[in-house]
Formats: sequence, C-alpha cells, structure tokens
Amino acid sequence: MLVRHTYCKMLGVRFTALLILLSVILGAVFAQQGTLRVGTEIPVQLDPAFASSDAEIAVLNAVYDYLVDVDAGNNIVPRLARSWSVSDDGLRYTFQLADNVLFHDGNPLTTADVIYTFNRLRDPDLGSPTSDLYSNIQAIEATGDHEVTFTLGHTNPFFLFDLSDNHALIVRQGAKDLGKVFNGTGPFIVQDYRPEDRMMLSANPDYFIAGKPGVAKLELVFFGDQAAAVSAIRGGQLDLIMRMPTPLFQSLASARGIQRISVPTNGFDLIRLRSDRPPGNDPRVVEALKLAVDRQAITKIVTQGLAVTGKDTPIGPLYDSYYLADLEPPARNVARAHQLLVEAGFPDGLSLDLHTPDTGDRPDLAVVLKEQLAEAGFDINVVVEPESVYYGENKWLEVDFGITGWGSRPIPQFYLDVMLVCGAKWNESHFCDPELDRLSQLAGTTLDEQERIDAYAQIQRLLVKRGPIVIPYFFPQFAALRNGFTGLELKAFPGRTDLALIRAN
Amino acid sequence: MALWRFLRSLYNRPSSAFGTTVVLLFLLLALLGPLITPFSATEQIFQDARQPPSLAHWFGTDRLGRDVFSRVVIGARDIFTLAGLGTVIAVAVGTLIGLLSSYLGGLLEEITFRFFDSLLAMPALLLALLLLGTVGPSRNSVLLVIAIAYTPIVARVVRSVVLGTKTKDYIAAARMQGERLPFILFREIFPSVLPALAVEAALRFSYAIFLIASLGFLGVGVQPPRPDWGLMVNEARNYVALTPWSLYFPAAAISLLVVAMNLMADGLKRVLQVGETL
Repeated sequence: MLVRHTYCKMLGVRFTALLILLSVILGAVFAQQGTLRVGTEIPVQLDPAFASSDAEIAVLNAVYDYLVDVDAGNNIVPRLARSWSVSDDGLRYTFQLADNVLFHDGNPLTTADVIYTFNRLRDPDLGSPTSDLYSNIQAIEATGDHEVTFTLGHTNPFFLFDLSDNHALIVRQGAKDLGKVFNGTGPFIVQDYRPEDRMMLSANPDYFIAGKPGVAKLELVFFGDQAAAVSAIRGGQLDLIMRMPTPLFQSLASARGIQRISVPTNGFDLIRLRSDRPPGNDPRVVEALKLAVDRQAITKIVTQGLAVTGKDTPIGPLYDSYYLADLEPPARNVARAHQLLVEAGFPDGLSLDLHTPDTGDRPDLAVVLKEQLAEAGFDINVVVEPESVYYGENKWLEVDFGITGWGSRPIPQFYLDVMLVCGAKWNESHFCDPELDRLSQLAGTTLDEQERIDAYAQIQRLLVKRGPIVIPYFFPQFAALRNGFTGLELKAFPGRTDLALIRAN
Repeated sequence: MALWRFLRSLYNRPSSAFGTTVVLLFLLLALLGPLITPFSATEQIFQDARQPPSLAHWFGTDRLGRDVFSRVVIGARDIFTLAGLGTVIAVAVGTLIGLLSSYLGGLLEEITFRFFDSLLAMPALLLALLLLGTVGPSRNSVLLVIAIAYTPIVARVVRSVVLGTKTKDYIAAARMQGERLPFILFREIFPSVLPALAVEAALRFSYAIFLIASLGFLGVGVQPPRPDWGLMVNEARNYVALTPWSLYFPAAAISLLVVAMNLMADGLKRVLQVGETL
C-alpha cells in the first residue's frame, strides 16, 4: 500500500514536472515577443466605411475584425463568425458569433454591433463607396444571443464575399469619431498614432483567437515613397513591406537577410477608352486600339515577364473554372488597326491624351503603349499625374483615355458590378451593353454554378470583342520580409494580409 | 574684334574658361542633336533593355531599351530650348517693366514692385509648383512658369540700375531736348543696364535649367517619354540598383551644365565690370 502510495506520489511529481516543462516549452514557442515593423504608404481615411487604399485596409485589418474573412486561396473562412448556415432557398444567412470577444475598451461584442455595422454600411446617406453591395439585404436581425440573420431580397451566391468586403470591419454600436478613435476587437490595440509618420500598436491580450497575434508589438511606419521604404528594409529599419514596383522588388534579389515573396493576383492595369462620346463611341476606334496593342511585349518589358498576360477581361486565370483559358484576343495587326482609324474618319491619325497615375509600373506602361499605338496612327500624349490628382474630383472617371490600377478581388463579380455594367459607380469606360448587363445579372444571382460559368464565358467573349478596355497583364503582388520572422501569408490584396500570423523567431 | 577681346577676357581665368567651354560644348550637342545620336531618344529596343555602357550604347540603355546617350543629347536640346526661351521671355518682359516703371516712378512703380515682392517672397520652385498645379503639366506650362518666376527678379535688377541712372545729367538733357520716352529708355538708359542684364540673364539661364530639371524630377514638368534630364533621373530612381547608368548620366549632365553656367556667369560679371571701368 505504502509502495503504491509512494509510486503514485512519484508519478504525480513527475507529471507536475512534465506539465511545468511543457508549459515552459509552449510558452517559449507561443509567447508574443518582438516588434514587427511594417512599411506602408500613408493612410489618410481610417473610417472603415471609407478606407480604400492598401495601407488603410492594413491598419484597420490589424485593429478590427471582419465577420468572415477570405484566406490566401480565396476561400471564405471564419473570423468573428465561428460558423454559419444558409437556408435552402439561399435567402437567409445565419451566423453564430464567437464567444468571449471583447472590444479594446472592454465591452463585449454583441449582435447589435454587427447589425449596426452593416446598417451603417448600407445607409445611402453615409455614402460608403460599396454600399450597393448591401442593397439586396432586406433585414438584419438578432435571432439569438450570439446569432445574427441576414435576409436577402434575391439570391446572391457571393453574399459571403460581400460580407468580407474591405469596408466591412465590425465596429461598436454607435461608435463615434471612427477614423480617430480606434476601438476594434482586432489582434492589435492602437497605442499611439502620429498621422503621416507611424502608428504604434500592442498585442491584444484578450484576443479571442488563441495564439494570435504572434508578436508583442506592431509598428506601422508610413512612407510617401516606395523607394524609401525599400531602402529602409534594406538598411534594417523595417521588417516587412508588402507593395512595391517590379524594379524595386528585383533590386532586393541581392539584399542579404531579406526573403522576397511573390504571389500571383487578379490585379491589373486597365487601359480604357470612354465609349459614350467620340472618338471612343465608334466601334472601329475600339477595335483599332485592341489590334494595335502587343500585350505580350508589354508584359515582357513593363513587368519583366513577372506578370501573366491578360486578354482584355477582368476574369483572370486565378478564377479557375470561371476563366476561359482557350480564349485569345485577335492577334496584333497594325495595318488593319490603321485602316480602321482611316475608316473611322482619322486618316491623319487620332490624337489622344493618355492619363495615368504616377504609381507602380503605369508610367512605363503608358510610354510603351504610346510607341505601340503610334505604329497604327494614334498620336498619344502621355500625362502622368500624382494619384491624388488622377483620382481627385473623379478625374479618372471623366478623361477619354486612361490607365487605372485595379486591385485583386476574390470574385470576378465585383469588377462587373462596379466597373462594367451600365451606370456602375466606377464604370470609367462608360461602357453600356445590355447583353453584358443581362449576363452579369445572371452570373451574380444564379445558384446554378454551371449557368454562372457559362455566363462568365460569354462575358469574356463579349469583352474581348467589343469592350472598350485592354487588360495587358495581371500583376503579381510582391513582399519583402526580414529573416527572423515567419508566418507571412501574403494575400493578393496585401492590405488584407493577416499580420497577426507573423512571429518573431 | 570686340568679340575676340571679350572671349579672350573670358578665357583669362581657368574657372570661367572651363565654364564657357562646357557650356559651348553642350550648346554644340544641342545644335547637332539628331545628327550625332545613334538612336532616336524615344526608340525602344526591347532586346537591348538594361544594357550597361558599351560601344553600341555609350551610356548604356534604360529599362525600356532606350539609348541613354541619345536621350541625354536630345535632352540637352530640350533643356536649352526651354531654359533659353524662358530666360529670353523673362529678360525681355522684366527689362521692359523694370525700365518703364522705375523711370516713370510714382504709383505705377510702387504697385508693380510690391506685387513682384510678393511673388519673390515665395521660392521659385514653390511658385512653379503652384502655377503648374493651376495650368497643368506641359512644355508650354513650364515655359510660362519660368517666365513668371524670373520676370520679377530681372525687373528688380533693371530697376536698381535705372534708379541710379535716371538722375544723371545726360538723361535730364535728353528730356529737355524733348526726346520721346522710348528713345530715353532704350537709347539713353538701356546701355547702362546691359552689362548687369547680361550677367543676370546667364544666371537666370542656369537657374532655369535647375528649375526645369527639378520640375521634371517631381513629375510635374515635361511629360514622358520626352528625354527631360530631371524626368530621366526620376524614372531611373527605382532602377538605381539595376541600371545605375540610366540615372548617373542625366544627373551628371544637370550638375555639369549648372556648374559650368555659374562659372561662365562669374566670368561674364568680371569681364563686363572690367569693361565698365575702362
């Protein structure tokens, strides 16, 4: 008996020692340690309803949470909603919220906060740029202590993606001074914000996802110039940058202690001609433009072959079954393009100002395009403008001929709804085609996957034939991370990258 | 003969001799331009992109396969045309306003020069950025900006000479003889203004080069694909680790020409002052 008691005692001591050892090891592995210094562009608008740039979304994604998130493989994954179900008719979406979620001010997350957030986003008086995404919602109601139900007017197969739109970060009910006061539920808590300089954040000790965030402190350092950010990571003043032009990414190849990461995306530089007034309203001019462009040469010279050549449709190869792999735009034919211009009434050439923002590879794209189009009789005057001028006062929606960068989105329907259907908010080419509108409506509502695949295929054929747009390439997304950090899962829209996953070794 | 003596005086000192020679060389490059460049300034030879300096491409090629030497030479033509024309306009308008308002004096002079003072209170680059923000970036806008930025400076220099000259006896004599205003301004006063004006014009020209290059670098001046030196430096900035030659050569051209212009202006000042004392 005594022997047995001693044996049990010894076993107990050993078990306790093992537990202590395990906790020490686990603590060493999972403890939040180190500071992650991330270089971003300067955020301006930090109210979630209006934020749009990568830098702005990166800041907010660290401070707030989405109801559901999109992973690097474009799959919907839980975040504040731990699970959800969809009614058989596809009109009711019910979400179960995670337990024990606290805002940074100590208040618990409730269904009222979720309802408030989406009612605010869909309020037309607020004027959030993607409020149309939620115009289909008929009701949002609490159906349990931790359960919210959305009722739709008609089916929307992409509704979960809409709920994970960049702006859809959950804020506290009745939150005031959004953009100045940062009270989220996210993995990091804002400690100090110095506009146009930096933001200092600390790990949220009450974060509801175990093991996150991976670092004790996050420092977002703002740069007005991407070349300066690259110099800073090269000089050891930054640990991570997530957006840079091709040459800067290439220049880091020889930098010691830095890992370069590149992921394919559906982001593209859109060359578009206004089609609601001369000269773009003449189909012959549109066809001449498409025939005069050498997309492969552009991909090779402007992106150094790192991008994927485009086909004048925003539905790129990343969309798998929606992408029409065997579709090819007509081969380059300069003589035919010139002939079309002559027939359209421009025997001496067509003069156009080509407006482009001064960011990324766009100025180079404009210069290469000018030379290519000149062979067919276009006389292009390149106008390179700061982004604030190009996008300011909606100039980009007004000019006849322009180049606009479009970031990657998890679903193609976004581009159709906001960029190409008749009267869409950001329809910069002013394209209005009843056939495209019908197909887009069908693809965006049908629950029959094959029907949607067919609709997208027809849309791609239509855009290649008569869309007043040229998409020469889908650019990759670049990042650079200093050795000593792991866990980066770069997303196609870099601002949505989960910084809470990154750990200091 | 006078020109020969003038040039000899300019070449008396090594610094002004160096400055004058370099400026004349750049001027020659600008004049000969397309005759001596092996390629067009905008021709993109994709298979030759990012080549270092070689016999085929003396200054190498840039990221789009354009010959950097051809771009620097044609860029000299562009910058001489823009800076030269801008300076000529500023000098002509500044001289006219300076002569007229300072000679007549009174309220006209007060209003004109207080307005010019307000323009001069702003640095030239800031004034240029404000004006370009209003009229939009283009070659003509840059020309206009140089003229507007430098006219007040020229007018002030002219005024400083006119104020000392208009009280001289020979001016009073001309007035009493019943000479007309244009005659007094351009035949009696203008010759006194000329030496200071020549030096000022040279200095303005050098500052205009710098201003054009700065505006090009900031991306608000001459637009691509024109081979503007400042714009070339701006475009090559991201490529400094990959094609450093596409940045160094236009940057060196800007520095060399601006330094040479200043050295030449110094020499000019010295020579013209010597002439005056003789």
